[in-house]
Amino acid sequence: MLSRLLRQFLFFVVHLVVKILVDVQNVYRRLYIENCNSPMGQVTKENILMLLENVPRQKNRLKHLVVLADSNVHTISDLAHLVIWSLVVGIPYVSFYDVTGRLKTLEDKLFLEIEKSKKGIPGCIKWANKPDLNGYTYGIQANTVFINIFSYSDGKPRIAECIKFIAKGDLQCKRNSNEYTVQEFGEAIKFKSIIPDPDLVLYTGELCCTFGLLPWQIRLCEFIQLSVHHNININCYLGALYKYNKCDQRFGK
Amino acid sequence: MSTWIKENCTSFLQLFCIKVLKAGRIPQHVAFIMDGNRRFARKQNVNTATGHTKGFEKLSETLKWCLDLGIPEVTAYAFSIENFKRSKKEVDSLMALAREKFERLIDEIDSINEWGVRIHIAGRISLLPEDLRATLAKAVLATRKNNKLHLNIAYAYTGRDEISRAASHIVDGVKNNEISPDDIDEDLVSQAMDFGEPELLIRTSGEVRLSDFMLWQVSYTVLYFSEVLWPEFTIWNFLMAIIHFQRHAPPLQEEKEKTPIQIQFLKNLELKKTREWEQILGC
Repeated sequence: MLSRLLRQFLFFVVHLVVKILVDVQNVYRRLYIENCNSPMGQVTKENILMLLENVPRQKNRLKHLVVLADSNVHTISDLAHLVIWSLVVGIPYVSFYDVTGRLKTLEDKLFLEIEKSKKGIPGCIKWANKPDLNGYTYGIQANTVFINIFSYSDGKPRIAECIKFIAKGDLQCKRNSNEYTVQEFGEAIKFKSIIPDPDLVLYTGELCCTFGLLPWQIRLCEFIQLSVHHNININCYLGALYKYNKCDQRFGK
Repeated sequence: MSTWIKENCTSFLQLFCIKVLKAGRIPQHVAFIMDGNRRFARKQNVNTATGHTKGFEKLSETLKWCLDLGIPEVTAYAFSIENFKRSKKEVDSLMALAREKFERLIDEIDSINEWGVRIHIAGRISLLPEDLRATLAKAVLATRKNNKLHLNIAYAYTGRDEISRAASHIVDGVKNNEISPDDIDEDLVSQAMDFGEPELLIRTSGEVRLSDFMLWQVSYTVLYFSEVLWPEFTIWNFLMAIIHFQRHAPPLQEEKEKTPIQIQFLKNLELKKTREWEQILGC
């Protein structure tokens, strides 16, 4: 019906039009919605007051926040700010999902950057795999944030490994019928069990994709876009928390 | 006219747009979380059962769009294990809807075979009423030779339950000496799942979570959340999702080569699943 060349031309035109429309919308969002005047590289007093002012309005208590961290587009300082803001807001677990596989190698840098940004802010930051370096609150009542970095290998490969251990008999997994129930299998593969399942996953850019993030744990978490341009600032962060607050879980009902 | 594939639902302009988009990459597997039937019913001031019926009609329209676009595999989240928590009246009406539609499918089997639709149903089937199980088994077995459109329906399903059942099959495989523990890897587990990996997942009604759907499979899937309620989902919403996919889809993941033992185990698993359907039907 349509010649191949004409179809390809029209395909190109459709995508060009969509690209222009999306870009215009994104420029608008960047200028008017995600715009933030705070100086780069530091958490200001205004930032903290702004966060504290908005904390009591949060209806859905957020326990575990996961950020899809892409080392190609996010700076270490961006990620450190997210931790400090979460400390102020009172989110007890903040995890980074290492999309490119490079964040794990930059963990020490991230640690130092967080310590630098934290100066003067009450609260305690604990690292899952640096127990010796964990901070103290010196008896002051303050928020605590547990930080984890997850990667692809913590997801599907870990579950496959658990199945292998069960098959070998190295890991106990009892069953009362032909097939394991979710409770039976879940009990066996429970690892780092003190960490609650993520409630919210934040991503930047236009693509929403899990990239293999903890398949067992993400069943009910909300996926919310932090920004369209990969930029991370306090307005985007508060905007995402507002969106999360509007989400209504029905648990199948 | 077929109940499952709604014919004559695309205008000339829509077909023209489909042809244009087919010049680009088309997802080979699309999954749907058809959310918003009840909100639609409330909005229209009709009862919940009518909302679900409208939702089914939308699915049959969507299947026709998928066939026109050349999408060979579609997965729909029809009923979650968690949905058993809903009121008895609503659960009964959903079961009645499934019974009616699958019976119609068996009545219209010639037209379904002509379209080449293969029905695959996955979930914890033992939780469903016995008569419905038999009807589902009939539909699965009657369409198993078709291959133009694979329609996977998740019934009494959750993603965690699917992972747990796949783990059971693999552990049983080791117990029966079909495979050794060293044959178990991520790819084997993926193949033992009920469903393959979708390239695009569409959830309607503005919710932005997976609700325990295809947790294992969505690692490199483009997740597309649409604001419209499922019964109000139009071909234009669908084509926008396809354009979004074409703009952002990650490159295809390379499949690892399987060993002969793994291939044999998976073949046996497939046979076992078919035998289970035959047993339900009493063949």
